[in-house]
Amino acid sequence: MRELLIRYRFLLLAIILLLATVILYSYNLRQKTTTTFFERSVLTLAAPFQLSIDGIVDSITDTWRNYLWLVDARQRNLALEQENLQLRSQLQQVTEVSLQNKRLRKLLAFVDDLDLPALPAQVIGEDASNWARTIIIDKGTRAGLHNGLPVVAAQGVVGRIIKIAPDSSRVLLITDASSAIAALIQRTRTRGVARGRGDNLSIEYALRDANIQEGDLLVTSGMGGVFPKGLPLALVESVKKDQFGLFQQITAMPTIDFSLLEEVMVIVGEDR
Amino acid sequence: MRGFFLILFTGMLFALLQSSVLPLFLPPNWRPNLILILILYLGLSENLSRALIAGLLLGAIQDSFCGPSLGLYVSVYLVIVLATRVLSEQLNTESPPLLLLLIVGGTLVQNLLIGFYLTVFAETAPVLHVLLPAIPQQLLTNLLFTAVLLFLLLRFQRRFGYRSGLAGLNYQSKRHGT
Repeated sequence: MRELLIRYRFLLLAIILLLATVILYSYNLRQKTTTTFFERSVLTLAAPFQLSIDGIVDSITDTWRNYLWLVDARQRNLALEQENLQLRSQLQQVTEVSLQNKRLRKLLAFVDDLDLPALPAQVIGEDASNWARTIIIDKGTRAGLHNGLPVVAAQGVVGRIIKIAPDSSRVLLITDASSAIAALIQRTRTRGVARGRGDNLSIEYALRDANIQEGDLLVTSGMGGVFPKGLPLALVESVKKDQFGLFQQITAMPTIDFSLLEEVMVIVGEDR
Repeated sequence: MRGFFLILFTGMLFALLQSSVLPLFLPPNWRPNLILILILYLGLSENLSRALIAGLLLGAIQDSFCGPSLGLYVSVYLVIVLATRVLSEQLNTESPPLLLLLIVGGTLVQNLLIGFYLTVFAETAPVLHVLLPAIPQQLLTNLLFTAVLLFLLLRFQRRFGYRSGLAGLNYQSKRHGT
């Protein structure tokens, strides 16, 4: 018996470890909204680095742009362009602040319309894989956030918090394949489930007879208990009806361009 | 021990790069999986126990930076480390281009396993719409970044490899094969 164990020790070790990891994964699937000690530690450890990287990348980008302009300026007229450069730099800063101001105003107006208390947060990171769609924001338990809170932007729903650390949180985007949101077509009130498909959404369980057209706005139905009712989700992109079958096949494009997302609002409570 | 912590530190650095820097320049399908490259390198050059422990920890780190559940990459990387170990006994592991060949296999196996786990255990079949079309881009970008990292590693190894306790493809860890 001992000899057998020794002879097949590599195979046995491999099987035991594989089973253990599969069990760990299955267990964690049931605890989706629980942040484990390991994950919390890694997120806590990474948050300051991600904030710094975000800052460093911004400064490098700024310096690079300004440097390029400087080279260009030297080629034309050094003295005049120097002044021009400073003015441009200031103008750029003003434009940047003004753009940020505009974005934040939009965001605030959107949240004001919702009449729900919300907390602003900045996007500091994205998912480290190519198949999952999550982002990291710079607010966590220290700011009073917890798992499950809905996250929105001025254009509509972003997603919900699934992992949380003291100073950062991970947000599952509506385009992730594991995201499913109870939704309805605003014009006809047809119900369905908006499921993520990476870049767009598919609307499932929309009845075949329902009148749905390209360009229709899809909003949250408020049924799942996570998102308030009536938040914009996506615009219907294509509608296909098979010869047979109970439901239509619909795809929709999110109202938000997630690659350009910089600031978000976390809805932290019920009605004010 | 110093080499082991260097591996974990590199893994953490790669995870930060993948989540905070690369998204600024590359769309999701064109972002390389740097940790996978590290895992294959470990499988080729380190001894079994060290490669296994590092593989499991790196999987947990990657799980913390992506997707909703801890355990997915832990399991996927375990399989990849074990498969690389079994293969490495049959191959000439001192050849640097071997890593390029393995990255092709590693990328395919990783996508296959992720697809399998997410479809069977998590019931998120739509993820296949995201995973499958991205495989060619993933292969290309992983190959390109592996070539760059390999070039840097071989230079770095000649200078600091022995002192840092870092194993390499030309000069494997003294514990390799144990």
